[in-house]
This record gives sequence, C-alpha cells and structure tokens, in this order.
Amino acid sequence: MTGAHQPFSAAVTGLGMVTAAGVGTKATWHAVTHETRPGGVAHHEELADLPCDFMYTADLDTTELLGVATQRLMDRFSQLAVIAAREAVADAGLSPDDWDGSRVAVVIGSAHGGLPFYDQQHAAMLERGARRVSPKLAPLTVVNGAASSVCMDLGAQGPSLGVATACSSGTVALGTAHQLLRAGVCDIAIAGGAESPISRLLIASACRMKAVSTRREDPAAACRPFDAARDGFVVGEGAGLLVLERPEHAAARRAPVRAHLRGYGASSDAFAAVAPDPDGNGIERALRSAMADAGVQAGDIGHVNAHGTSTVMNDLIEATMLERVIGAHPLVTSTKAMTGHTLGAAGGIETALTVLALEEQLVPPTANLDVPDPRLPVQIVREEPRRASFDCAVKTSLGFGGHNAALVLTR
Amino acid sequence: MNAAEVVNALLVQRFGVSSGDVTDETPLRSLRIDSLALEELRVLIEDQLDIDLEDVPLTSRDTVGQLVAAVDGMVPA
Repeated sequence: MTGAHQPFSAAVTGLGMVTAAGVGTKATWHAVTHETRPGGVAHHEELADLPCDFMYTADLDTTELLGVATQRLMDRFSQLAVIAAREAVADAGLSPDDWDGSRVAVVIGSAHGGLPFYDQQHAAMLERGARRVSPKLAPLTVVNGAASSVCMDLGAQGPSLGVATACSSGTVALGTAHQLLRAGVCDIAIAGGAESPISRLLIASACRMKAVSTRREDPAAACRPFDAARDGFVVGEGAGLLVLERPEHAAARRAPVRAHLRGYGASSDAFAAVAPDPDGNGIERALRSAMADAGVQAGDIGHVNAHGTSTVMNDLIEATMLERVIGAHPLVTSTKAMTGHTLGAAGGIETALTVLALEEQLVPPTANLDVPDPRLPVQIVREEPRRASFDCAVKTSLGFGGHNAALVLTR
Repeated sequence: MNAAEVVNALLVQRFGVSSGDVTDETPLRSLRIDSLALEELRVLIEDQLDIDLEDVPLTSRDTVGQLVAAVDGMVPA
C-alpha cells in the first residue's frame, strides 16, 4: 500500500475512571495533579508475608453501586469496568435510551481478567470438592468478561472484544477502537482497560520474578518512577474507559470534544517472555508508527504520559527511547506512583489522564520522584503540576511478551 | 430456619432479589434465577441446611413454592 496516508481523528467525548487515586474522573485527576503522596496503597491481608505485601486498591462499595443481582455476574475487574463505563457514557452526554446500540462497540483490555475468582474456585475445589465449584467460572474469569459486562449493562450491541497484551492491553484496546471507528463498523466505541489483580498467587509469582518493589517499610514511597532509588513496580487495580466517536457523529449531536485520538502504533519485540528489548527498538517502532499514523512530527509533541513503571530497566529503556525519537523537549510524566501499575487497565487510565492534560494544559507530576536517575535524558515533571502550552501528546505502553503500543492525542 | 426462610433469605442476600417480589407462585426465572443461578442456589441451600439436592430435578421454570417443597422433601423431619 502506498500513497498519502489520511489521519483519522476519533473524537474523545467521555471519560470514566476508577482508580486507587480516586473514584471517578474528577477525583482521580485531582489526586494525580495535586497530591504528592499516594493515598491508595497499603499492606493487604491477601499478600501477608510476601516480599511485596502491599498494593494499590480503589476505595468503593461495588455492591452499593451495582446491586447484588448485577454484581454477582462479574468478577471485580468487570465491576470496575462497568462503573467506569457508566461514568464515561454519562460524561459524553450519551444514554443507552437514545443511541443505536448496534453502532456502539466495546473494546476493553485486561491482562489477567478474573484471576481472583479463578483462584477462589480452585481453592473451593481442593477444599470442598468438585461439586462446590461455581458454574460461573468461564463467564466471570475470561478476559473478555469486562467487555461483555459493559455491553450488557449499557445495551451496546455492536462489535465487542477483550484485548490481552499484558500491560499494554488498555492502550491496544484504544488503538483497536480507533481502527474500528476508522473502518466505519461503529459510530461510538467505549474503550480502555480494567484490572483487579488482588491475587496472592499472582503477586507471589511477581515477587519471585523480582519485578515488584519490596519497600515494605513504606508502601507509599515504593512506586517511584524515574527515581534513582526505584526498585520495581507496585500492582494496582482500576479501570479507565473513554468514549470515542467518529468525528461526524460527535459533530452531528454537537457533543463537546475533549480531545482527539489521532494515531496508533503497535509492535512486538519478538525478544523475550518478560524482558523488554534492551535497546527499546520495539517501543520505538510502535511510537514512530503512531506518529506516522497521526501525521505529526517530533516537534509537535509537548507531553508524554510514559509507561514509567518504576522498574530499573523499563524507565531507563523508555526514557532513552523517548529522547531518541521525540527529543528532550516534551514534558514527561508517569502517573503510576498515584494509581499503581494497573497492568491491563494502565493504558486506559493513563490515556484518560493524557486527555485531561491536553484539556487543562497541565502536566501531572511524577509522585515520589525525589532524585531523578541522572541517566535519563528527558524532562520529567515532578513536585508539582506543570502548566504548559501543547497541542499534541503521546501515551506509551509496554507489555510482558514484548507487546508495545503508542497513541497520539491532539487537542 | 425452615426451608422457605432459607430460600427467601438466599434469594435476597445472594441474588439481589427484592423480598417483595417473592411469593410461592413466582417462577424462579422471573427473579433472574436462570439455570446457572439455580445451580448456585442449589449448592447454597445444601450448605445451609446440610442436605443433598443433587438428584432433585429443578428448573428455572419452577416456582418458589415448588422449590421450597422440593427442599422440604429432603429435610429430615
């Protein structure tokens, strides 16, 4: 295929978030921009005695919000997705009563899906026998459970799917939604990520992998992206969903457009099961593809919401790649110290935060960044939010298995 | 608790049924108790009353009253 590539700007008309930083978009954004120490991370009973015995959790009563009859048909990652989706759709000024449901797509990323329910049922089988295993194991634990739950809750009847590319799932979900809208198979897409990995099994393994922080004496200081003393990521739960629309659909109903999703690129390292390509060539290809897809140049990009997990390798590889591809001028941040690493939800939450940064012309600081790693050749915002003028921003994500993705957003 | 009380309490607490909707004549499926939910309910009743309902035929077309009668039939007098 050759010839001029015409960019496609999907309109972002709604945001919904449930995070450890806050329940709802407004609460999350306020915490991410104005608090310097995360409040949503704590020791967790489920993780007692593990080298990493803490995680980020969202403070909400899902039973009160959803009701028992609805809640019982979902594991927690799907519950968070439904709550975020309701907020996003209301924020967009849409209502299931007056849209054409067959033109509404749902694309939600998750790395582990209903792992906690899987764990519980496995324990039930070992302790109480096969007849005590729930018949709902498959529908609740599959990674597409969040997407189907949102479809059912909102009456969305267009194409829907779960996306599983580990920690880039949310970003790939948004990119996939961008492509569905561009292809014209839907007018509206509800897309992003959802994760609730409150699982002793998973964290026990992450500890053995030496991927997570072991700063047990001070969990609030454990996730410290780009800091010289960082020692690993800290897992979190959450959901972040965006309402995207074909631009003419948003215009026809005179919907306020919060930002545009204009470019998407994805790539695979084809390198290792866990370790990223040490030269960052994979994420570089994803970012360059996204910039080409959007038709933007390095000089146009004013802000990057980085993957910035707080592992020694990720932050070094990513920052080095960002400088190589875009230069030293963009204001880089990682919001993970406030939300935790929400794995498959991260791309959804962080893209929503990027939309808010564009809208407010305000870059959130990287919390816990006390002493920037001197090897990182980029400008990282810290201590307080930075007001700036920028029309274009980038979101990058890297997933175990070498799944890289990048999005370009514009005002 | 007798069988009716156990069934009613489980429907309300575990399945989100509103207690006002439950009468003897109400079909289970109209309370959103589909075949999957019924299998869960079966095991919950077993646990609560320490009985075995494995061979009791139940369908979501049954009414609450029919379910209670079936449970009653398995409860030692």
